[in-house]
Amino acid sequence: MKKLLTLALCACMLFACVACGGGNSGAEPQKSNTETESAAGGNTVVIAIGAGFSTLDPGRVYEKYPPLVVNACYENLFKFYSNDGGAEPCLADSYEFSDDGLTLTVKLKDAKFASGNPVTSADVQFSIERCRNLQDNPSFICDTIGSIDTPDEKTVVFHLTQVDSAILSKLTYSSLAVLDSAVVKEHGGTDAVDAVTADSAADFLNTTSAGSGMYVMTSYTPDEEIVLEKNANYWGTPTNVDKYIIKIQPDSNTQMMTLSTGDIDVAMNMTDDTMAELSGVAGVELMNSATKTVSFVMMNMNSSIGGPVSDPHVQQAIRLALDYAGIQTIVGEGCITPYDVIQDGFMGSKGERPASYTNVDAAKEELAKSPYPNGFDIDLTVCDLDMEGVALTDLAQKVKADLAPIGINVNIVSQPWAAGYGDAYRDGTLGMTVMYWGTDYNDPNVQLEFLPGKTVGLRAGWTAAMDPTLSAKYDETMAATDNAERIRVLGEVQDMMYENGPFAFIAQAPAHIGFNTRLSGVEISDPYALDLTLINVK
Amino acid sequence: MEQLKFIARRLVYLALMLFGVATIVFLLSRLAGDPVTANLSQRALSDPAVVEAYRARYGLDKPMLTQYLYYIRNLLQLDLGTSIRTNNPVLQELGRCYPATIELALFSILIASVFGILFGIVSAVRRNSALDQTVRAISVTGVSIPSFWFALLMLFVFYYKLRLLPGPGRLSNAFSAPAHVTGLYVLDSLLEGDGAKAADALRHLILPSFVLAAFTMGLITRTTRSNLLDVMSTDYIRTARSKGLTGHALVIRHALGNALIPVLTVIGLGLGNLLGGMVLVETIFNWPGVGQFAYQSVMSVDFPSVIGVSLLIALNYMVINTVVDILYGAIDPRVRCR
Repeated sequence: MKKLLTLALCACMLFACVACGGGNSGAEPQKSNTETESAAGGNTVVIAIGAGFSTLDPGRVYEKYPPLVVNACYENLFKFYSNDGGAEPCLADSYEFSDDGLTLTVKLKDAKFASGNPVTSADVQFSIERCRNLQDNPSFICDTIGSIDTPDEKTVVFHLTQVDSAILSKLTYSSLAVLDSAVVKEHGGTDAVDAVTADSAADFLNTTSAGSGMYVMTSYTPDEEIVLEKNANYWGTPTNVDKYIIKIQPDSNTQMMTLSTGDIDVAMNMTDDTMAELSGVAGVELMNSATKTVSFVMMNMNSSIGGPVSDPHVQQAIRLALDYAGIQTIVGEGCITPYDVIQDGFMGSKGERPASYTNVDAAKEELAKSPYPNGFDIDLTVCDLDMEGVALTDLAQKVKADLAPIGINVNIVSQPWAAGYGDAYRDGTLGMTVMYWGTDYNDPNVQLEFLPGKTVGLRAGWTAAMDPTLSAKYDETMAATDNAERIRVLGEVQDMMYENGPFAFIAQAPAHIGFNTRLSGVEISDPYALDLTLINVK
Repeated sequence: MEQLKFIARRLVYLALMLFGVATIVFLLSRLAGDPVTANLSQRALSDPAVVEAYRARYGLDKPMLTQYLYYIRNLLQLDLGTSIRTNNPVLQELGRCYPATIELALFSILIASVFGILFGIVSAVRRNSALDQTVRAISVTGVSIPSFWFALLMLFVFYYKLRLLPGPGRLSNAFSAPAHVTGLYVLDSLLEGDGAKAADALRHLILPSFVLAAFTMGLITRTTRSNLLDVMSTDYIRTARSKGLTGHALVIRHALGNALIPVLTVIGLGLGNLLGGMVLVETIFNWPGVGQFAYQSVMSVDFPSVIGVSLLIALNYMVINTVVDILYGAIDPRVRCR
C-alpha cells in the first residue's frame, strides 16, 4: 500500500514539474505583455474577439468581427477614419457626382496590392460585381449601383439606379473591399452573373488575403485564431504594429483573465461584470461606448394581427410607460436611449430621448383615449437572440413589468429565431415583439427601412398608404446628397416618428473594450469593431 | 476465430447503428429550424433572390425525401456533405477539430483512470478510515461539481491568481501551431523536434484535462472501491488470506483484476463522453474541439455538421464499446469462453 501511495505522490510531483516547468514558474509567470514581441523582433499585439464567424471572404462577410480583419487586410474606395466622422477617400484620390446625382466618378490613388500588382479600376469593378453576383448576405449593398464603367485604369464610373445619398458610406463596407482580381481569379473567383454557382474563391479568401491593406492574413485556424502580418508592399504609412494575433475567445470571463495576465492586449467581448472586475487593474484601460445596434418594441399596425397595439393611442401609451432609464441599467454601462429611429452618433441624429420622457400618469391618460381604457391582455413574442450579449427575453421581461402599471398585461411567448420566429417576423405576422437591428452599413439611411412601406416598416404592418407623408421622406432622404439638406430631412423623419408609428426605440447597445495601456489608438468602431490600422505600441 | 466473428458482428451492428443515427438526426434536425433563417442576415432574408440562391446552394430547395436519399447516397461514399455555416466539407471540419478533442480526452481519461483506480484501491483497503472518507468526499465532489464552474474556478486560481499554469488555448502566443501530422499538438511538436513547444502544449492540457477528468475520476473511484470491496469478500480471497497472503500481493495480484472489469466499462463510457466534446469546458478554455463545433453548428441549424458530429459520437461509443468488450476477454478469460 505504501508503494501505491508513493506512486500517487510521484504522479502528483510529475504534474507539478510539468505545470511549473519550461520557465513558467510562479516567480516568473507568463511573459508580460509589455515584453510580447513577434519572433521577428517586432511588435506583436494580441486581440481577443467573441464568437467565431462563417467567412472571411470579403464578398460574403456580414457578421460582427470579419470587418476587423477585412479592414486590416483590404482597402475600400472610401473609409471611416473615425467613428463619428463621414466617409473619406481611401483608395479614392478624388470623386465627383454628376449634377443629377446619378453618376459618381472616382479617380484612384497610385496604390498596390500585397502581391505587388497595381490597384486598378478593373479591380474595383471586379470586387463590386462579384459581391453583387454572389447573391450572398451583403449583396443588397449594391442595390443602387446599376453599372460600372472603367474608362481608364485609374477611373471608375458608377451609374446609379437612383440618387443615393449613402453611396459613399456603402462603398466603405467590407464587402466592397477592393480585391486583387488577378489573384482571386487565379483561385477560382469570378464576377460573372453566374458567380453564385461559379465562384470558388471562398476557400482561398478564408485562409489568406488578396488586398492592398496594411496587413496580410498569414493563417486562420477556424474557431481558434487569425494571424496578420505586415504587408511588405503597403503603399501607405504603416503603424508600428508588426503582427496581430486575433484569438477567438467566446467567454468574457476568459478574456478578462487573459487581459489581466497580459496574454492578450485587447479584450473585445467584455460585459458589465467583467469590466467591473478589471476596474483599477494596473496597465488596463476600459472603454464603454454606445454602438449603433438598437433594440425596439414593435407593435403591429395591422389590427387583425396587432389587436389593441395597432391603436395609435395604445402605441403612444406604451412609449410613455416604458422605463428607459431602467432599460439602460439592464443593458449596461454605455447604453443610451436614442431620440428615435436615427441612432445617436449618426449624421442628423437628434441625440437621446430625455430620461424624463417616461410618464406613467400620461400613459394612463393616453390609454384612456383608446378603445381599451382599462388595459388589455396581449402576447409579446420574443426570440432567443441577444443584442450585444443582452438577451431579448430580458428586455421583454422589462417591457412586461413597465406596462403592468397602466393595465397592459403582457404574456411573453418565447420562440426560437430559426424555428418559427424568423419567418413570422419577416412575414409581418407578429402582433407585438421586442427585437434588435444592427446597422448593415454605417450610414443613417440604413434606418430608413423602418419607414412605412419599407422592409422593417412592413414587418410591423406599416404600409406606405398609412402615412404617405412620412413614406415620401425615403426618396427625399435618398436624394439629399448635400449634408445640410440631409440633416434637415433626417430631422423631420425623427420628429414625425417621435410619437407616431409602430416602433418604440428603447436602447442603443453598448460595446465594452478593455485594453493594455501600452497601446494607443484603440477606439470602438461601428463599421470595423476595431480599426487595427490606427493602433500603435507606445 | 471466435474473436473475429465477434468483431465482424460488431461491425455489422456499427453500420446499422450509424444508418439509424443518420436517419433519426436527419429527421430531427429538419424539425429544429430553418438554416436559411439562421444564417442569412435580416436584410438578406428580405431578398427572395438571395434566399433562393442560398437554398439551391445547399440543396434545401429539394423535397425532404430527395434530400434524405442524396444524403444517404453521399454518406455511403463517405461524403458527409458541406457545412452550411463554414462552407467547408464536414469531414474536413471534423478532421480539424477532432484531434483537439482527442488530445484532451486522452489526457483526461489518463488522469481519471490513474487517480480514480488509485483512490478507489486506497479507499477500499482503508475502508471507513479518515482516508476513505476523504477520498469518497473527493469523488462525490468530482461527480457533482458543475464542469463550467469548476473550469472557471481552476482558471481563476491556477492561471489568474497563482499564475502556475498557462491560460486558455492550446499553445502560448510565443509558439505557432506545429505542422499538422496527427493534429495532437504535443505529439506533432515532438515530431517537429521542438521540445519547448511540446512542453508548452502539455502545460496547456493540464487545467482542462483535470476539469474534465474530475467527473470520470469520481465515477472510477467509486466503482473501483465498491467492486474491490465485493471481490475482497469472496471465497477465493478468503482462501488466499488463509494461506497467508496480505497487502498489495493480495489486492493487486488477486483481487484487482476481477474488480476492474466494471471499471473498464466506466472508463470506456467516460472516454466516449469526452470524445463527444465538452461544450462549456472547451468554450472556457478556448479549446477548438468537437464540442465548440457542435455548439456552433446547432446554433446555425447547420444540418450536415450536426449529423456529422452525431455520427462521430455514435462511432466513438461503438468503437470504444467494442474495444472494451475485447479487453474484457483479455482481463477475464471466462468472458472469452462465453
